[in-house]
Amino acid sequence: MNFDLDDDQRDIAAGARDFFRGQASPAAARAALEGGRLEPGRKALADIGFLGITVPESAGGAGRTLLDLAVVAEQGGAVLAAPSLVTAARAAVLLSAEPELAAQLADGSTAFAVLDGSPDGSAPSVDAADATTFLALDGGDLVVGEGEAVPGRPLDATRGLASVRLTSRRVLVPDAGELWARARQVAAVVMAAEDLGGADRCVQLGVDYAQEREAFGRRIGSYQAVKHMLVDAWVGVEQLRSLVWWAAWAADSAPAELPLAASAAKACAAAVFDEAAGTLIQVHGGIGFTWEHDAHLFWRRAKVDRLLLGDEAEHLDAVARLAVAGALGR
Amino acid sequence: MDFDDSPDEAAYRARVRELLEQHSGDLLRLAPGQENVDAGTHEDALRRTQRVLADAGLVGVTWPREYGGQGGTLVQQSIVSQELARARVPVLINHIGIGMCGPTVITHGSQDQRDRYLARLLRADDVWCQLFSEPASGSDLAALRTTAVRDGDDWVVNGQKVWTTLAHVADHGILLTRTDPERPKHAGLTMFVVDMHAPGVTVRPLRQMGGQADFNEVFFDDVRIPDGERLGEPGEGWRVALTTLMNERVAIGGAGGSIGLPVEAFVQHARDRLPTLGPERQALARQAIGRAVVAALGARYTGYRRLTVLSQGGIPGPESSAGKLAGTAAARLVADAGVRLLGDDAVYAATGDGDDRWQRTQSWLPGIAIAGGTDQVLRNIIGERVLGLPPEPRNDKTAPFSGGRP
Repeated sequence: MNFDLDDDQRDIAAGARDFFRGQASPAAARAALEGGRLEPGRKALADIGFLGITVPESAGGAGRTLLDLAVVAEQGGAVLAAPSLVTAARAAVLLSAEPELAAQLADGSTAFAVLDGSPDGSAPSVDAADATTFLALDGGDLVVGEGEAVPGRPLDATRGLASVRLTSRRVLVPDAGELWARARQVAAVVMAAEDLGGADRCVQLGVDYAQEREAFGRRIGSYQAVKHMLVDAWVGVEQLRSLVWWAAWAADSAPAELPLAASAAKACAAAVFDEAAGTLIQVHGGIGFTWEHDAHLFWRRAKVDRLLLGDEAEHLDAVARLAVAGALGR
Repeated sequence: MDFDDSPDEAAYRARVRELLEQHSGDLLRLAPGQENVDAGTHEDALRRTQRVLADAGLVGVTWPREYGGQGGTLVQQSIVSQELARARVPVLINHIGIGMCGPTVITHGSQDQRDRYLARLLRADDVWCQLFSEPASGSDLAALRTTAVRDGDDWVVNGQKVWTTLAHVADHGILLTRTDPERPKHAGLTMFVVDMHAPGVTVRPLRQMGGQADFNEVFFDDVRIPDGERLGEPGEGWRVALTTLMNERVAIGGAGGSIGLPVEAFVQHARDRLPTLGPERQALARQAIGRAVVAALGARYTGYRRLTVLSQGGIPGPESSAGKLAGTAAARLVADAGVRLLGDDAVYAATGDGDDRWQRTQSWLPGIAIAGGTDQVLRNIIGERVLGLPPEPRNDKTAPFSGGRP
């Protein structure tokens, strides 16, 4: 039994934290709502190698584990970085037999997005708004093609959501249902990891403010009504961290556990990030409700992410079905 | 990252299984569907079971060898716990002694006390209880009023304790008393080992809301305790008690164990009951099942993280409080979903064929959210010691206890 990050993964996390703090911020997420560019952007993520973490070395990637990628994704989530490593991880699974395309994913030369729903008019899909090449499931086959992206008015601009209609398509893998399902589970794990970073940051910011702000003659963090909200959010973050690590580990080392673990992590993320972001606003009072404050940017991400790649109810249902069917191994 | 046994751990597990098989005829076993046995009615069998296990080297796994333990790791302890559960052996009768009283004697007792008590505790020759809470001091433990007054080589104890698990079968207890009411509340306390059979000790069982009688009230009327039974210095009782309390939170859900029925039993129950519900009910039930399983797995894997830190030499910290908090919340979701799956029987205390596992679990979980630190006290501990938030202002920490009372 050893359920902790190793020294290498801790180093990866520290490096990713430095990179993301330098290259992205909630301020950039706010600017993106008013037409600003996404930070750090695809090129910077490709240059530092984050788009190819799980792409095989033979295809120009780092050939590392999903757990390594999840550790990086957490740091990106903490500053609301975009585009999402969800797309990189999901596309890497789908392109596992396509080294040329995988190389373009890893080096950032092609802007990929993976479509949820029908290729003839997809559901709002992550990073689709400014992608040029789309991966989709078309009648059971994995296809790649170009398309027309129609973004809605963004609630969280960093997710780059758009509905897409493919204008060309080429079959990459016929009868790709299993591959597609696995890629979606991997995507759910990485989104849960980004949400973990966001939720953790919300708790930190809330604690920092409760340490400073005074009301009725003392710091508000001393009131149990405030303290206990922050503690509940923190306890939730710790449960989520455990499920994210487990799910990422399962993707690498125990594939049979991935469906259950991925749904558990995604369902937990939906609830935990929403609670943490709501707590962040509440602890700040009126200032937390302003456009200038960062709190709403985390709240926006939480409100959007909880519905993407399957909402909480869908994943709770999956957990129940899988558990009852015998998926609880250990 | 690795959830499998290492070669050493696998060998240890095999050895534990072998020992349990070898002694299987001498061990009390739970019947199918039974989760625990009453200590009062099964006292002899429970003591015998622990003695057999102790002689086989399966009790006090993490205790130092010099005190009769095995000098093993927390991971080994968790392997033994898993294998005992797998073999359907009930919780050891002396679990409070092993988890809380013994470690306190090891840390704060004299060599003489360690020699006299620890080996007997491990073999359940003596059963131990923990005499802390009082009618007027629960969460505010340091406000306790049971007094111990020095008289020659003895101390004379008067007062009342309450919620004392196992006192009705116990031979010894660790007893927190006030020895100096003129000092501030935390500074005037002293801990003792008390002989539960001494003249002046009266134990009265209390019936819990679920109907069971696991805990008691205990009265002390001029009970004499020799000074040699003191644990730590006079006035040091609070520091001694903190050792006990920290071990308690690790014991209750702090390191990988689960609170309430294991999630596997819950899932089996769901497998049996889901088909008895109509399709719409099934969909609703799956939401509750999913939520309970996610919470239980979150608590379990967070426990694995803590176990990893502890097994690499970390010391139990305030994070253990989070384990109890999350474990209790998960156990409530599991029990609630378990009861709901019973359909019409959910409003009764047992099913038509007499199965009351889920209703019984439901009725003792409110106690778990109180015992060993209420959910609210745990949130204060986490808020102040993990998140670093300021404490509530207090005016009861510096004034003499005698003058601090209304």
